[in-house]
Amino acid sequence: MSESTNPNPQQGGKLTEEEKAAYVRSTRRFDLRRILGALFLLYGIIVLITGLVDPAADTKPTGGIAINLWTGIAMIIVGALFWVWDLAAPVPEEDIIGVLEREEEERAEGEGHIPGI
Amino acid sequence: MFAAAAESGIRLSLSWVDYVMIIVYFAVVIGIGFMARLRVRTSMDFFLSGRSMPAWITGLAFVSANLGATEILGMAANGAQIGMSTLHYYLIGAVPAMVFLGLVMMPFYYGSKVRSVPEFMLRRFGKAPHIVNAIAFAVSNVLIAGINLYAMAIVIEAMLGWPEWLAIIVSAGFVLVYITLGGLSSAIYNEVMQFFVIIAGLIPLTIVGLHRVGGWSGLTTAISKTQGAQQLSTWAGTAIGHTTNPIGANWLAIVLGLGFVLSFGYWTTNFTEVQRAFSAKNMSAARRTPLIAAFPKLFIPFIVVIPGLIAAAAVGNQFADKNSGLTYNDAIPKLIQMYLPNGVLGVAVTGLLASFMAGMAANVSSFNTVFTYDIWQRYIKRDKPDVHYLRVGRWVTIIGVLIGIATAFLAAQAQNIMTYMQTLFSFFNAPLFAVFILGLLWKRMTTQAALWSYLAGIAAPTAVWIAYLVNPKLFATGTAETLYGAIISFVTVIVLGVLISFVSKPKPVSELSGLVYGVGTIDLTKDNVATDTAWYRSPALLGTIALVLCVVLYLPFV
Repeated sequence: MSESTNPNPQQGGKLTEEEKAAYVRSTRRFDLRRILGALFLLYGIIVLITGLVDPAADTKPTGGIAINLWTGIAMIIVGALFWVWDLAAPVPEEDIIGVLEREEEERAEGEGHIPGI
Repeated sequence: MFAAAAESGIRLSLSWVDYVMIIVYFAVVIGIGFMARLRVRTSMDFFLSGRSMPAWITGLAFVSANLGATEILGMAANGAQIGMSTLHYYLIGAVPAMVFLGLVMMPFYYGSKVRSVPEFMLRRFGKAPHIVNAIAFAVSNVLIAGINLYAMAIVIEAMLGWPEWLAIIVSAGFVLVYITLGGLSSAIYNEVMQFFVIIAGLIPLTIVGLHRVGGWSGLTTAISKTQGAQQLSTWAGTAIGHTTNPIGANWLAIVLGLGFVLSFGYWTTNFTEVQRAFSAKNMSAARRTPLIAAFPKLFIPFIVVIPGLIAAAAVGNQFADKNSGLTYNDAIPKLIQMYLPNGVLGVAVTGLLASFMAGMAANVSSFNTVFTYDIWQRYIKRDKPDVHYLRVGRWVTIIGVLIGIATAFLAAQAQNIMTYMQTLFSFFNAPLFAVFILGLLWKRMTTQAALWSYLAGIAAPTAVWIAYLVNPKLFATGTAETLYGAIISFVTVIVLGVLISFVSKPKPVSELSGLVYGVGTIDLTKDNVATDTAWYRSPALLGTIALVLCVVLYLPFV
């Protein structure tokens, strides 16, 4: 196992630099902010198009506000902001690696032996 | 006849666009479950996300775990029924309680490395009160999960036309899959997603609703004319001896009962909530969890309670009419039906469905933790390897969901039991809070005192509630009864706790370090990382701003 670049190494503690880098990459790829950004962009586009395709249906129940247009635009902006945030402040590497290296400690804690107390 | 009834209900006409959005959302939910599954290596990963979450995620999950069906529909119903007084639940209740949790209680919880709230009971007081606490929490939580499930099924049936049994099985199935896969991480990620989606649905609803009733001035005029001006104020008519406000309680009962006892009890001792903070990556993030949650909580009433008022202004006559088939709980679904076109409609419905499911998932993910760590590991199978507890956790999740489904079908048989059960369960938090507060402040408090005062604190409000059922004239409203019941419970615990402590033997002070105020020290900064020291991340500053905002937001509605 230790020679491979398994993104989810089973042994904490003795990791190669390569394994650590792979783990960091795979963690950041699934950052919640990216998922939220994608979801909001997709929803924003769907809602915006719905509003553009049938403007009459958009304003009829709302009493004049083109709510699909406004909501669509707002959701696209929010989605983009999630991506900007993710790019500007990625999860610190030491946080990601720290989780891996604490595995033994975590196991002990799970077994009810509280470390350090 | 039937067609007319359907139109006046809350049935929505979803188009394929709306269904696409719903399907995409739940595909992402399951995807997150599988993704989180890859990261679950230990039982701590499964139950507490390996204590690795950043504060913004745990903070939003903290506020979102509470944003389930009962909260969104219930608080909008309150808005429609009792008006702006509903703000008390947020501004005198939830937010001060969150600040108290972050500033005062979290250092004891997180610093003692306990894995659940019952475990804190064990460390501070010992086995007897721990068993009572763990079992009461596990049983009540799995029942609440079932009640949430049933509440959700009724709404899904009314909105989408699915039969109740199908709604129950499908929703429970989703929760089962993603919690069994990814444990608490799945639950937390979905809570954060749900938070943003429900907001993206409720903001347009509020804007359109206000527009349709003629803006803020149109709303206040309509409410004053139909329900009366008292609906627009919060503290008017709360004088002692002359209570004319819609809650039916004076200001002291509101501050002490609703604010101090019920809300502090719920937000600081309910493990379903506190668990989110336990999963934070360090002490600083754990303390900031409820403080970050306080800020969205301050503004949620404006997209939940205000729509309630809008609904009262628009269709209040139908809520009051028993034959209309519409109840106050339908306020938000009714507005969605009337005001949102396909497109935004899909976002709003997705948000509602997600919030219903997240509420149940929060119950299940805290139930499995307490059952595995506090009951199974402590009293049934000790000293097994960690992987054993991880496996038990997954099985308990499955069993918990199945019991929840069974409870949901039971609740369906006895509808009116539901509200009473919610009331009853809220009493479990009040005595627990009293025991913890006394135990945290007073090192002399003994195990015997904790056990017996806790039991008496559960029995006392139950007796008050039964008395109210027998003689409804005792209190002005059901809400007033819960406020006084909570105060009685709190006082019972404090009085009995002090008395019994004086006639029984306290734990030696050496065992109380870090568990009682002033005994030993808790290092609040030792696991800090560089970014935790930024001035705007200071817990004291965040807490102060939140409390100031509580006062400021009351001002327009005094």
